[in-house]
Amino acid sequence: MKRLNKHSAIVDACYEIGATGWFLVVLLVAIPRSLRYLRETIRQIWFVGAKSLIIIMISGLFVGMVLSLQLYYTLSIFGGTSALGTVVALSLYRELGPVVTALLFAGRAGTSITAEIGLMRATDQLSAMELMAVDPIAFVATPRFLAGLISMPLLVAVFNMMGLFGGHLVGVNWLGIDNGTFWSNMTSNVNVWTDVINGEWKAFVFGAAISLIAVFQGYNAPPTSEGVANATTRTVVWASIVILALDFVMTAFLM
Amino acid sequence: MVRVVELSSELSGKKIFERISLEIPRGKITAVMGPSGTGKTTLLRHMTGQLHGVSGKVWVDGLDVAALERKQLYALRERIGFLFQNSALLTDYSVFENVAFPLRQHTRLPEILIRNLVLLKLQAVGLRGAAQLLPSELSGGMARRVALARAIVFDPMLILYDEPFVGLDPIALNQVLKLIRTLNRELGITSILVAHEFAAVRQVADWVHLIAEGRCVASGTPQQLAHADSPWAAQFFGGKIDGPVPFQYPASALDEALGFVGPSS
Repeated sequence: MKRLNKHSAIVDACYEIGATGWFLVVLLVAIPRSLRYLRETIRQIWFVGAKSLIIIMISGLFVGMVLSLQLYYTLSIFGGTSALGTVVALSLYRELGPVVTALLFAGRAGTSITAEIGLMRATDQLSAMELMAVDPIAFVATPRFLAGLISMPLLVAVFNMMGLFGGHLVGVNWLGIDNGTFWSNMTSNVNVWTDVINGEWKAFVFGAAISLIAVFQGYNAPPTSEGVANATTRTVVWASIVILALDFVMTAFLM
Repeated sequence: MVRVVELSSELSGKKIFERISLEIPRGKITAVMGPSGTGKTTLLRHMTGQLHGVSGKVWVDGLDVAALERKQLYALRERIGFLFQNSALLTDYSVFENVAFPLRQHTRLPEILIRNLVLLKLQAVGLRGAAQLLPSELSGGMARRVALARAIVFDPMLILYDEPFVGLDPIALNQVLKLIRTLNRELGITSILVAHEFAAVRQVADWVHLIAEGRCVASGTPQQLAHADSPWAAQFFGGKIDGPVPFQYPASALDEALGFVGPSS
C-alpha cells in the first residue's frame, strides 16, 4: 500500500511537470493574442513588479550589509580586505541577486498571482470572460506571465544596486575600507558580460519559471478555499525548488 | 434558435444526458426546469460551447456549436448574453467597468458612447446610481442586476439566464421578470431560463421543458404543464416528495450503511 502511494505521488509529480510544460506552450502560443491587451500587461507589471520594489530594496540593502560584514571577517584572515568590493559585487551579481530576488518574488508576487487567478476561477470570473468572448488565457494568464518575465531582471538590477550600496555602507563607512579601493577593485574585476549579464539571464529564466508556476497553479486550482490555499502553497514550494535547481544548472553552464 | 439533437453527455464519468432532444423557438422565452442536479446548467454550457457531448449535436442560430473554430465560437458568444447563477462579476472592477467590459474588449467606441451605453443599461436595471460601487459593496440581488446589465450591453440575439430568481426580494424579482419580458417582447431577444421557481416562470415563459434523468420528460406551456398528467410534471410542479424523482441521492441501504446488517453476498 505504502509503495502504491509512493508511486502515485511520483506519477502525480510527473503529471504536474508535464501539465506545466504544456501550459507553457499554451502561454507562448497565446502571446500574439495577448498583445491586444498590452494595457493589462502593463497593469500587471505594476502589480507584480513595481509593488515588489519595497521588499526587494530593503532585502537587497540588508543582504549587501551582511555580505560585507561576513566577507570582511573572512578576507581579514588572509589580509585581503581590499578585495571586499569585488567579492561583494561578484556574490551579488552572479548568485545572491538573482536567487534571493527570485525567492522573494515567488513569495510576494507568485502567491498573489496564484491566489488571484484561483479566486477568479472559483467565482466563475474566468468562465464569464470566456462567455463574453474574451480569452482568459490571453487576457488573464499571459499578461501575468509576461509581467513576471519582464519584472524579474529589473528587480534583480535594483536588488544588486541596493546590495552594493549596503556593502559600501558597511565596508567603507563603518569598517573603514578606502572608498577608492572599494570601487576600483570592483570595476576592474567585475565583467559586464560574464558577471552582470549572466546574472540577468538567470533572473529572466527564474522570472519565467516563477510566473509559469504561479499562473499554472492558479489556473488549475480546485474552486474551493482549500484548493486555492493549497495551490498558493504549491506555488511557493515548487518555485523555490525550481529556482534553486535551475540556479545550479545555469551556474554550471554559465561559469 | 437553439436545437439540441440526440445529445449524450458525461461529466467526470457521470452520465448527464442520454440522447436528449429539444428545441428553443426564436423570439420566445423558454424555461428549462427540472430537479437539482439534472444538468440544466450543463445544457446551457453545451449551448455556449464550453462543453462538448459524447454524441449528438447542439445547433445555435444554425451553427453546430461543437464544430466551430475558436474564432467562430467567440463570434457566436459575442451574440449571446449569459447571466450566471452567482453573477460572476469581475471583483476588481467597478459596476460601471463591469458593464463596460464587453464593449471595451470588442469595440473601439469612443469613451463618451461607452459611458452613455453603460449608463442606459444600468438605468434599465435600476442601478445607475451604483455605477461607481465595487461588486463587494452590492447585495446579491443588485449583483444579479449588474450582471444582467452586462449580459445585455451588446443587445444579444440570445440570453441564457442561469437561476435568475434565486435570492431576489419580491421587488427585485418583479423588476427582473419585467426586464426579461421587456427584452424579449420589445427587442425580440430569445431567452432561455434555467429556474426552479414555477410561480415566477409561469409569469414570463412561453414554453417550458422539464428535464429529468438525462432526457426531456415533458414540454408545453406553463399552463399545460401545471395540469399535465405526466408523473414527472405532476411531481415536480406539485412539489411532491414521492414520484419518479427520488428525494435520496443513490446510496446503499440505510440499515447496511449504519452497520445493522452485513452486505448481501
